[in-house]
Amino acid sequence: MSKIELINIKKQYRQTEIVKGVDIQVEQGEFAVIVGPSGCGKSTLLRMIAGLEDITSGELKIGGKVVNHVSPDKRGIAMVFQSYALYPHMTVAENIGFALSLQKVNKADIAARVKEAAEMLELSPLLKRKPAELSGGQRQRVAIGRAIVKRPQLILFDEPLSNLDAKLRVQMRAELMRLHREFGSTVIYVTHDQVEAMTMAQKIIVLNQGVVAQVGKPMALYEQPANQFVAQFIGIPKMNMLAGSIKGNTFIGENQQQIPLAHNYPEHAKVHLGVRPEHLQLDRSGSGWKVFLVERLGVETFLHLRDEAEQQVVIRLEGDSPVSEDETLGLSFDAQRCFLFDANQQRLSPNIEQLKHVENRA
Amino acid sequence: MMQAQTHLEQATQKKAYLTLVAISFFCVIPFFWVLLAAFDPQATQFLSLPKELTAGHFYNLLVNESGVRWIFNSVLIVGLATLLTLVFAGFGGYALSRTSAWWKRPLLYAIILVRIVPPPALIVPVYKVMLWLNSAVNNVILTLTENVEQQILLSRIFSFVDGYLGLVLIHTAMQLPLAIWIMKTFFDAIPKDYEEAAALDGASQMQTVRRVLIPLALPGFAAAGLFAFINAWGDFLMPLMFTSSPELQTLPLGMFRAFLRVDAIDYGFLTALAVIYTLPAVIAFSFARKYLTQTFSGGVKG
Repeated sequence: MSKIELINIKKQYRQTEIVKGVDIQVEQGEFAVIVGPSGCGKSTLLRMIAGLEDITSGELKIGGKVVNHVSPDKRGIAMVFQSYALYPHMTVAENIGFALSLQKVNKADIAARVKEAAEMLELSPLLKRKPAELSGGQRQRVAIGRAIVKRPQLILFDEPLSNLDAKLRVQMRAELMRLHREFGSTVIYVTHDQVEAMTMAQKIIVLNQGVVAQVGKPMALYEQPANQFVAQFIGIPKMNMLAGSIKGNTFIGENQQQIPLAHNYPEHAKVHLGVRPEHLQLDRSGSGWKVFLVERLGVETFLHLRDEAEQQVVIRLEGDSPVSEDETLGLSFDAQRCFLFDANQQRLSPNIEQLKHVENRA
Repeated sequence: MMQAQTHLEQATQKKAYLTLVAISFFCVIPFFWVLLAAFDPQATQFLSLPKELTAGHFYNLLVNESGVRWIFNSVLIVGLATLLTLVFAGFGGYALSRTSAWWKRPLLYAIILVRIVPPPALIVPVYKVMLWLNSAVNNVILTLTENVEQQILLSRIFSFVDGYLGLVLIHTAMQLPLAIWIMKTFFDAIPKDYEEAAALDGASQMQTVRRVLIPLALPGFAAAGLFAFINAWGDFLMPLMFTSSPELQTLPLGMFRAFLRVDAIDYGFLTALAVIYTLPAVIAFSFARKYLTQTFSGGVKG
């Protein structure tokens, strides 16, 4: 059993609280990604699970047992470090087999398991080399090999791909997912890169300033963000936010632009309307928005627009688009794709009465 | 044009080599003289090519005089002191490297201060302390056994003044500050990631030390050990102060006393002694050299 439970976990360094009460559950065999901006406490949280940091308060359970005071070597977990931390005085084979040799596994078994791991990671020709003679991608593989050779119930990854170049990162992402499918270990993976989170995770835990902002499946976070932070953190480019107020089922922007909403919302004087770049439509006959930057990537084009109130939005268009800078255009909003956030940055839900009405109709 | 340039380069290089050869020759001459004189049956104060070679001086030193005893004493005392220095410097250097306590800097400077004070300035207080410890130890020895022979033997080993233990400890104390600094700096360069990785690989503290930290710190140990060994080996003051019985004499003391003998100075004997005295330092250096130049890299990134 390797279900991981974090119950009101807190971490304090002297006076500052870094992790402020985190409750998470990761099911057995699940690939969970903890994602958040730098300094949000995600690495600290992972190190607490590993046993490398003390837990100030709260309970950490692995497989139902409280392990707060169990030392890292007795927790039976493996970790892949951001720096890889390969032992420079050992060969690749010795690095991978180190954990087994500590367990006093006999030499033939170690050799067999190292060989198996090396084959899986395409490291076989490199077994006799020292880490200094390897490229970044190869070191990364050795670090992963060192983790999987123990066949641990839980593997922790601390930003393992952040030192690789973009191409290799894409390749390693696919490989890690394949390994997870083959091994079935529980994985907790920390990253600041929301692309890694979206592509690999079965469950994403978004962390912001030491608290869990939202937990859910990747697409659930994309489609139903609970607050402004998650809404803007997930998705590239980030979700556009327009300040304004609500009256009935109309959003009134700072430039007095009126945007009809799909539902009736309780009246608010100060709200933000969020809409993703990919859900905005260009209205060539309209006006009010001036193009100030065009980014053409071939497969898509991003237009950066500004209105008179100096509010900025980004809009994504398929393929190329014959728009030039300084052009004035209008925008049309897809009411179904708009989110509203209150002054506390929490997402507003429509008036419940009306929602029921809509559901009944459906 | 190109050829002229290479010519010029070659000429400069030739000059550089010639200068180096001249300097090396100048440096090597004294050793060369000592070596020649040690095997010359008619060794004199002056450099001369021996007419015949003999091992007589060495025979004289090792068989007729107490050469073997001096070598044994020096190797035992300095060897043990170096070993102790490395053990303490390993622990101390590691602790000082990893702690972030407020007393880290003050303590580090206090440690190096011990090194800055010239050893002769420490003679009086150190002797006082050693004398006090000595009487305490000898009282214990007297209560342990009635047998006078056993008492003498134990006293020779464990005495702080005129005993092996005292010399080993005083040498350790003198060599420790520099060794701790070397090891501290060395451990600073070993990222904590290795220890954390070892912990997650399932290594206990002892296993981490033995299989990860010590192998990684080997060049540091080699440097610290070499300095400690060579310094303690060359130390003359401490053995002079803390030994009186001839059985405890070390090589530098033996050399000093041989030099002071009333009859004519025996240059052959002295140079033979000098050769033997130099040998361990050379051996220690060649032993440590392999590790000194060895550096580890490529284990961590970022």
